[in-house]
Amino acid sequence: MIIARELHKIYGHGPGATHALKGVDLTIRKGEFVAIMGRSGSGKSTLLHLLGLLDKPTSGEIDIDDIDVLRLSEREKARFRLEKLGYVFQEYSLIGELTALENVYLPSVCLNRNNGYKKYARELLDIVGLGERLTHYAGELSGGEQQRVAIARALINKPGILFADEPTASLDAESSVTVLKLFKKLNKELKQTIVMVTHEPDDEVYVDRVIRLSNGLILDA
Amino acid sequence: MLQKYNTAVQAAGKHVVLGNFKLALFLAFKSIIKGNRWALVLLILVMAFSFVNLIFVSALISGIMTTMDNQMISYVYSNVVIGPREDKYYIEKSSRLEEKLRQIPGVASVTSRLDYSAFIEYQWKQKVSQKDKGKSGTWEVVGVDPEQEMQVTTLHNQLINGKYLDEYDRDQIILGMEIAGGLKARTADFLTLGGASVGDKVRLTYPNGVQREYTVKGIVYAREMQRADRMAIVTREELLSVLGRDIYLDRASQILVRAQDGADEAALIADIKATGIREQVNSWRDYGGGQSSVVSTFDVIGSLIGSVGLIVSATVMFIVIYINVLNKKRQIGILRAIGIPEIAIIGSYIFQAFFFAVAGTIVGWALVNFVLQPYFQFYPLDLPIGLVSLHVRTMALVGSALGLGTAGVLAGLIPSWTIMRQSIISVIWGT
Repeated sequence: MIIARELHKIYGHGPGATHALKGVDLTIRKGEFVAIMGRSGSGKSTLLHLLGLLDKPTSGEIDIDDIDVLRLSEREKARFRLEKLGYVFQEYSLIGELTALENVYLPSVCLNRNNGYKKYARELLDIVGLGERLTHYAGELSGGEQQRVAIARALINKPGILFADEPTASLDAESSVTVLKLFKKLNKELKQTIVMVTHEPDDEVYVDRVIRLSNGLILDA
Repeated sequence: MLQKYNTAVQAAGKHVVLGNFKLALFLAFKSIIKGNRWALVLLILVMAFSFVNLIFVSALISGIMTTMDNQMISYVYSNVVIGPREDKYYIEKSSRLEEKLRQIPGVASVTSRLDYSAFIEYQWKQKVSQKDKGKSGTWEVVGVDPEQEMQVTTLHNQLINGKYLDEYDRDQIILGMEIAGGLKARTADFLTLGGASVGDKVRLTYPNGVQREYTVKGIVYAREMQRADRMAIVTREELLSVLGRDIYLDRASQILVRAQDGADEAALIADIKATGIREQVNSWRDYGGGQSSVVSTFDVIGSLIGSVGLIVSATVMFIVIYINVLNKKRQIGILRAIGIPEIAIIGSYIFQAFFFAVAGTIVGWALVNFVLQPYFQFYPLDLPIGLVSLHVRTMALVGSALGLGTAGVLAGLIPSWTIMRQSIISVIWGT
């Protein structure tokens, strides 16, 4: 579960500073599929970055699974992201020198738990419909396929929460639908908590709840 | 909960360290294998040529020093020089000492020399008055036993005109190039005989008043300006007749000892001293005089050029790897975002840079060893001091390899560490 209290984020200093978030309070329950929506510049990506520990708020508190994550050191945050959170980015974010399978199991290598991660990576690629493309490199996959590999990679360490920052922004309509259906499937079948930023109104049909942002404030949650 | 999480993170420490190492190696390996082939080849070539650049200058200077050392050994001093006792001008009973020296293991051959000097004149009949200096000067005259001398030095191979002395030559003389003068001499013409040639007559006036005429039998051009090219050589028998046979028959100014190939000079000197002789026993190096200061100067210059070369090479390598790392800035951001530990990311770039340095060093070493060195062996540089080939010193090889390796590690560490200090978002989006 994510609980955010009085989140503020100010970029820059002095008169030119931008107040991107102006006191956001929200709660996202375990197993929810939530969309954060709003116009460009409303602060939705900023909110996702703060919740996903990719950036620090200017003030406020964030608890994830009862852990006050803002009190973690940078090293602990990295470890927390690795073990508890998964990310799917707006643009293709695969490592070009790795195959689809290697991209997926990459975050597991440094945990060094056992060799089962390769098997699990194959299963995940099967789940996202790319079981036949294991040895393909990023450059040999379409945009939609790359995003699906990125989703599989985000799930490899069985994260509590999956963050997706406009995951369909670079995709054609057909690939977008495939990715969103995949999110829905993961949410329903694996009870995966998903927090997705999107500006596409059509995406609302796939999610449980929409958090609308405008000018750094929540309008509707 | 926070406490519990921190404890869990710490408990996983050992696994994490191993995992990070594994991941760093994995990322570096994949990046090298699957990265741009041409970039890889160019990077390794840059490293290789940087290494060659480092080695080449020091090897050339080392080659010059080796040539100078060899000249001193081959033409002037051989390996070990026995000099008179400190209170004497000559070695007494030299023939007995020579025999003693020949019995010592490691000694290949022995010869004695008589040193004297003379006022040498050329075309003296053309002088217009007694005060006319004409073509003349005072030089060292060395009396040698030609047969034995040829067993110890190789001066006889450095004749550019004429022949070497025979055992029974009396009125024949060998002149060093810097005495004879002429086109190849580097000494100013008026300080030489101005071009004496084989077959010409020269007149020698010795300090004891003896004056004799000789025919120039050969001209030595050893390119060793300190002594070999500034000596006049006559037979020992001839010099004995000048100095006084009765007194000087069993005397020598120096006894030169040539060591067997591969013999340890220092050990040989120790063995000679152990025989109890009271004459001075020195290495050729001790007689280097001005030469040794030239060698030391070259050594310092070599070190300076080597240091500058290392800095330049390290900088080139640093820039190339730095650009390579910066090109992967977004990838580094993504890796950080998905929780890959900083140490694993930095480690992967250090491994890559280290690989480039090692690969470059190996290719560079191969170029030096299999291309440059053989080439200069066959086609040595014809420098004023002699024919110079490359002489690669192990220390220079190791130093250059270590220097490039260190530069490689820094080139991988600094840019990736710098990127780690930036926020993840700005690294990913390039803001």
